[in-house]
Amino acid sequence: MIDRSGLRSSAGKVGGRSRAAPWFPALLGLALAAALTFLTLPVVAIFVDSSPRDLIDSLGEPGALDALWLSLRTTTTSLAIILVVGTPAAYLLATRSFRGKALAVTLVELPLVLPPAVAGIALLAAVGPSGILGGVIEAAGIELSLQTAGVVVALTFVASPFYVRQAMAAFAAVDRTLLDASRTLGASEARGFLRVMVPSAMPGLTAGAALALGRALGEFGATLMFAGSFQGITQTVPLAIYDRFATDFDSALALSAVLVAVSGAILLSVKLVQGSEVLGAPQG
Amino acid sequence: MAPLRVEARTRLGALGLDVSIEVQAGECLALAGPSGAGKTSVLRVAAGLLRPDRGLVQGDGETWLDTERGVNVPPERRRCGYVFQEYALFPHLSAWQNVAYPLRGLSRKERRERALELLERFGLRGRADARPRTLSGGERQRVGVARALARRPGVLLLDEPLSALDARTRAGAVRELTAVLREVEVPALLVTHDFGEAAGLGSRVGVIDAGKIVQEGTPSELAASPRSAFVADFTGAIVLTGRARRGPDGLTRVDLDGGGHVVSTDSGEGPVAVSVYPWEIAIEPACDAPHGSTQNRIPAEVLSVTPLGNRVRLGLAGPQPLAAEITQASANALGLHAGARVTASWKAAATRVVRVEGT
Amino acid sequence: MTRGRRRSSPRRSKSASGAALGAVWLTLAATLGLAACGGGDDNGSGGDRPRLVVSAASSMTEALTACAPKFERATVRLSFAGSDELAAQIRQGLKPDVFAAANTILPRDLNDEGLLSTPVEFATNELVLAVPRDSDIRSLDDLSRDGVKIAIGSGSVPIGSYTRDVLSRLPKAESEAILGNVRSNEPDVKGIVGKLTQGAADAGFVYVTDVNATDGKLTAIALPNDLQPTATYAAGVVKGANQPAEAHAFVDGLLHGACAEELDKAGFGAAP
Repeated sequence: MIDRSGLRSSAGKVGGRSRAAPWFPALLGLALAAALTFLTLPVVAIFVDSSPRDLIDSLGEPGALDALWLSLRTTTTSLAIILVVGTPAAYLLATRSFRGKALAVTLVELPLVLPPAVAGIALLAAVGPSGILGGVIEAAGIELSLQTAGVVVALTFVASPFYVRQAMAAFAAVDRTLLDASRTLGASEARGFLRVMVPSAMPGLTAGAALALGRALGEFGATLMFAGSFQGITQTVPLAIYDRFATDFDSALALSAVLVAVSGAILLSVKLVQGSEVLGAPQG
Repeated sequence: MAPLRVEARTRLGALGLDVSIEVQAGECLALAGPSGAGKTSVLRVAAGLLRPDRGLVQGDGETWLDTERGVNVPPERRRCGYVFQEYALFPHLSAWQNVAYPLRGLSRKERRERALELLERFGLRGRADARPRTLSGGERQRVGVARALARRPGVLLLDEPLSALDARTRAGAVRELTAVLREVEVPALLVTHDFGEAAGLGSRVGVIDAGKIVQEGTPSELAASPRSAFVADFTGAIVLTGRARRGPDGLTRVDLDGGGHVVSTDSGEGPVAVSVYPWEIAIEPACDAPHGSTQNRIPAEVLSVTPLGNRVRLGLAGPQPLAAEITQASANALGLHAGARVTASWKAAATRVVRVEGT
Repeated sequence: MTRGRRRSSPRRSKSASGAALGAVWLTLAATLGLAACGGGDDNGSGGDRPRLVVSAASSMTEALTACAPKFERATVRLSFAGSDELAAQIRQGLKPDVFAAANTILPRDLNDEGLLSTPVEFATNELVLAVPRDSDIRSLDDLSRDGVKIAIGSGSVPIGSYTRDVLSRLPKAESEAILGNVRSNEPDVKGIVGKLTQGAADAGFVYVTDVNATDGKLTAIALPNDLQPTATYAAGVVKGANQPAEAHAFVDGLLHGACAEELDKAGFGAAP
């Protein structure tokens, strides 16, 4: 005999399979609500804590504009370096196996798990004025410490693993027969990389670039330790926020609001690009 | 057009590949065998995607691989058209862009024209701007073939060209592919796990098992004279095992494992396999006395009745499993159903004695 | 054959990598455990003692870290940053028990705002020009040379405001030239020290106690008496603190107790 009571009770419930655990879906919902609140409240508070007029006024003052412009220049430069160097590197790691590959992958991902302060120390120890390569760099006439170039170095160091990891996963997920097909159709490996692998991996590459960009925008500790804090040269938005929060909280709020808005815009555009890939480009 | 020669001797994991084949221009050699037999590896060696320990590949009038002289032309410089099993169409390019991919040195306009020309030949001009994900399986297969032909290759390589298609599309695809192979007049090497597909598309069939070609010939040669139980089984025959000895009248008597015996006009001694095709087996009601010239009579019980158009395929349980194909009309007349007791009968002349592997 | 091989190796490698993973986690846990127990300001099992949170200016890092374990009435947790940052945190509602600043203005402001008890002046410090040990900079005059890289505190942190105070007392041309050579406005004094010890900056304005703490890596160049600002340190108990009695005792200790000794050893001057 079919137990109809069992069927009836599970028919209308969301995921409810037994009468004994109706609290489980509620628990899930509660967890989500808590997570959402925790994550969005600070962001919302930034915009709510001060009037729009004050925010805009604060943005107008030269220190704030300098910080915004500097952040823009350094993060885009850093991202460009990461893309140009990181993409082929990720491709190599994703598609070839060689001795020591596991080690190479770990090294590439290492900055990910380094606290920013440690990253700062590491950079100083490596390419700082007293660092291992300090003499070489100075002899080459390059100045990193206390200069914008140093900011770019710090950002590139902390943000590149975010891109490389995603890129590796994206390349590894591309059907290898596509590359075989490309070769049988007369395209060299290099052409195949550019015309098949990269476009096929594009959603993953874009996501990785967005993550790296977000990380670079928010970088603070390593920048401060390695490059210092000086308006227009090394004081990026996060450093400017830190400089201001003690004395001019409104200005700190305003800069934070801009950073949140920019990061949000980056995330949104990545989602839109990926969404259009999934749905398929319009025909014709 | 020059013939294709592929010789390869290499280890692939646990498999020892050892093949030597030659395909003339305009001919299609179908390599048929079970999965893991090494068929795709032969294609990859021909295309340059796999480098064997020792081998020789000659195609399009050139030597593409000669391990003894250190010649190894990379895939991109071999003029091969390779149709992959799942077609490997580039998802980010439209159909015409896929077909135009191999065309270099032409203006965009010229490439598009040539691609459209090819798509027209395959009846796909209307889908030229569609992305692969919106094409049906059959359409994707045709784009794959068109793309492989775009730069007029000297050799055509096809990996299970029909296996990803559903049964209905497959019939039309066979016709079309046969026509294409006739048109392009280059040597074609095709691999498949289905003997029927091989027989339909290939002018010659090579049965490949565990890395070696066990028999090569026309499809009917293989079916009529399978050299081993494996080939017989692969070509769709029923294979029965037993012990053979010389019988009266110069016939060979084979005592089947599990009971019963059959006679064959072939000769054999000791442990053998006998093969017979389902359509060579006639079905009589069990109680009937022997009549007619068939010498082999095996009592069996009907397990299943499967319609195949105007025929039915009967699964039979005897001392060993059997299958018979008879007309639907006959099946109806005999009132056949699961559980019915019948006698399977066939001629001694239709009973082939083949080798059992290892003997 | 392939199947057999595949079956055995994952099992073998799984248990091998499992053991390796276990070892890694065990080591990590042991290290963290040791760090938690061994380091910090716990001496032994002082679990019943009340906890005292002290926000103090970065320049007192070495001195207070040395004397805090000796405070018997409570387990002291120290938090170092620029005095202005710490004050801003208190304004935002954070409640450490004690606030010790590198100037008197910040504690007095907080007192006016009702956030801090009446501040107690407990030490003084001397502003110096710090340079790397092998530097060829000898005086303020050398600072206005071309190409000299200077690090100072940001405008809102005491060390920064003292520095600007000093520079404002110089002739205009000289102060402008020196300011023109500034390459970094650090949020706290340890950042300036870092830039100097790393060789990134050629000179910086810090406290003499900071130079002392570098154990000879930096040289302190005294400023002319008429330029020396009065760097007076003041501390107070935060209103609404958890342990007011212990907090007051700690503040007293800055004047009379173990902490006063350590401050003296570090090079701080006596309270005015």
